[in-house]
Amino acid sequence: MFKELKFARVVDWVKERFPVDVEEMKSLTNEPVPNHLKHWWFALGGTPAILFVIQIVTGVFLLFHYVPTPEQAYESVDKITNEVAFGWYVRSLHKWASELMIVTVMLHMSRVFFTGAYRKPRELNWMVGVVILFVTLGLAFTGYSLIYDQLSYWAAMVGTEIAASTPVVGPLAADFIRGGPEVSGNTLTRFFALHVVIFPALLIGLVVLHIVFVRLNGVTQFEFEGERRSRHRTFPLFPDHVLTEAMLAILILYLLTMMSVIFPAGLGDRADPLITPEHIKPEWYFFASFRWLKLTNVYIGIVGQIFFVGLIIAWPFIDKVFESKFPRAELSVWIGFLGFTFYLILTVWEALV
Amino acid sequence: MSLNTKKIVIAVIGLFFMGALLIVGGIESNKRVLGKKAYIKVSATSENCVDCHTVTSPSLVEQWRDSKHALKGVGCVECHAAESTDADAWEHEGTLVAVVVSPKDCSKCHADENEQFQASHHADAGKIIGSLDNVLAEVIEGDMGRLSLNGQSPVAINGCWQCHGSVVKIMADGRPDPATWPNTGIGRINPDGSKGSCSACHSRHRFSVVVSRQPDSCGKCHMGPDHPQKEIYEESKHGIAFKAFKQDMNLSAQPWRAGIEYSAAPTCATCHMSATEELPVTHDVGMRISWNLRPPISEKIDAKAIKAGEQVVSWEDRRDNMKAVCSKCHSENYVDGFYLQFDSAINLYNEKYGKPATAIIKMMKAGGVLTSTNFDEKLEWTYFYLWHHEGRRARHGASMMAPDYTQWHGFFEVAERFYIHFVPEVREACEDRIRQGGDVAKAAKVVLAELDSILNREEHMWFLGKMTGDEKARRKAAAEEFKKRYAQ
Repeated sequence: MFKELKFARVVDWVKERFPVDVEEMKSLTNEPVPNHLKHWWFALGGTPAILFVIQIVTGVFLLFHYVPTPEQAYESVDKITNEVAFGWYVRSLHKWASELMIVTVMLHMSRVFFTGAYRKPRELNWMVGVVILFVTLGLAFTGYSLIYDQLSYWAAMVGTEIAASTPVVGPLAADFIRGGPEVSGNTLTRFFALHVVIFPALLIGLVVLHIVFVRLNGVTQFEFEGERRSRHRTFPLFPDHVLTEAMLAILILYLLTMMSVIFPAGLGDRADPLITPEHIKPEWYFFASFRWLKLTNVYIGIVGQIFFVGLIIAWPFIDKVFESKFPRAELSVWIGFLGFTFYLILTVWEALV
Repeated sequence: MSLNTKKIVIAVIGLFFMGALLIVGGIESNKRVLGKKAYIKVSATSENCVDCHTVTSPSLVEQWRDSKHALKGVGCVECHAAESTDADAWEHEGTLVAVVVSPKDCSKCHADENEQFQASHHADAGKIIGSLDNVLAEVIEGDMGRLSLNGQSPVAINGCWQCHGSVVKIMADGRPDPATWPNTGIGRINPDGSKGSCSACHSRHRFSVVVSRQPDSCGKCHMGPDHPQKEIYEESKHGIAFKAFKQDMNLSAQPWRAGIEYSAAPTCATCHMSATEELPVTHDVGMRISWNLRPPISEKIDAKAIKAGEQVVSWEDRRDNMKAVCSKCHSENYVDGFYLQFDSAINLYNEKYGKPATAIIKMMKAGGVLTSTNFDEKLEWTYFYLWHHEGRRARHGASMMAPDYTQWHGFFEVAERFYIHFVPEVREACEDRIRQGGDVAKAAKVVLAELDSILNREEHMWFLGKMTGDEKARRKAAAEEFKKRYAQ
């Protein structure tokens, strides 16, 4: 009894100084979730968010030991991998979570695309989502380059060379990213700053904006055959949907752990600017881009990709034009299918060569 | 999915996750760092060994701590443990151990490597006992009597056996006879009856592949006046490239395939043993060798087995194996061209020097022109130098592309030995016997006739001043061309 009184006094003390109505917060956040979210492929939006949290936590642990200088970068990664207690596990989690994050962001985008969930009034949120994808890819690229082994160094070299081929701003942008005409210590510190401060901060802001948009516009409503008879068209966020996300979170942790055990993050030879490895390849998510560049000349390769990115960003508006001209043709599905297949073919092609 | 089902699923996956974390913990506690001092986690008995030997022989323990064995938990007793029935078993601090670790012991984990090795010529290196070289070390150079160690010649103990291997004898107290141990000769006959010594190439107690892949490892034995393979390799382009780009050789890589893990240069191991994309690694060093260049007359490597009616891999297949390695750096035509050059040198040695000299010596021994005692006459030493030292240098030099070893250390000295020493000494010995008369004189006359017939062959006629007109004209033209070239 005495304890309860004391606790109530503490709560009152806090409420006085932090005047937020908890009940109101509950009703504000506990929005009913549409029934279709019970389908697993609609949970893909939350998955990258879970992975992002894992990335922040493991990234902070890696930061304790990583040194962003050409002399010590490789040695510090080596130390993390081989000496620091559980360093190999944390690094492997970080690596696999990054790969899975890209996969799930892409899958989430595909789901949104093929269900037409980017249409009015959600055009802006689609655009925020596309930027999230590219920031995620930026995080992956800069993170991979920090390892400073041969493949990572030369991937950075090729990546920045590609950037340099961009018309007009390319050379300036590449020099800015590299901190000079070649990949050096300056590049490493710039990539480090991008990877641990700029991109994560940007991503946090974008994710918050993405969720705010979802809350403001509401989740798209879908109805599936079996659900039409159900009296309730929604289910509660707490605890139903939160439990689903918790289930996913723990499943992801389990999968990541098993991946880390079976395929721990490796480390190649120390970066040597004087020795070009026989096979330079970027990480798999850039395979399509790399293959495209090989198939075309540099100019078409770059301009084509910039055009492609512009197309994705502006898709809700382009789609609107198609919808008004050919309302029954389902053009977006066909174009999306072709685009996605093209990406997959290029990726698999590059992987096999 | 109902809320309760979700909770159950979370609990089940949670359990899986906890299990995965246990695996992570297990891996972490067993973590070993290659190149760094390993946390010792071996059997309790091995820990006892380490405790004492860290004090009594600290470097031995440190070398082992740097080894892959230590990383994998292979401690001392895992290799040194002995059964009570083992001839060399002795109780040491409460544990039955054997000092000698034989290929049979290593084969408990490295069965394939042992099987390949046992089929190799290396495993039979101990068969030298009873050969000419052995007579030299035991009788001629050394002594097995009052100047011996436990009845063995110090020359054999310290020389021959350290490469060829000793027959390790165990004394009454279960300890090895110091005349036969320590020994890391590659053809050692071990107390358990097995042949060989893995540490001959892999060294103990670090057992690093980096050591065994070094030409220096082979050079412990394959060097010197009678088989200077190490020096020959160093003179060749292969050895030059290795010295220049040793840092690019990726010597610790596993697997270690030419053209994949490294491409800077080949070492001895590259050509004779190591894997390529198509060939597996082999511990049978003869699997890629087509000639046997050791005997007085070179023969194809399968010749002896064919004579004995045994089925072995043919010399053609072995040569194809070697060509497959060569092809990682050279074109087919280049490799075929090399083999034609190499074969021509061996053929020349055999026909011009090896076969004639060996035939003459055999005739002289059979007819009593030479005594039955080996090495008691000057001519026997001359013949030995001819094939065993200079003849091998010429042949080995040609086999591994070392021009100076082929020419000046090789054929030049072979020719000098043959014409300036061997031929006059044969004549002198025969003429002595002819003066003495009897049956031996008859044999000596036959030998002289044979020598005369040999010297009248086209390739030797110059020595008798009987150079053909064509050859004389060719020599004259060449001499004039030479003068003209240098007068410019």
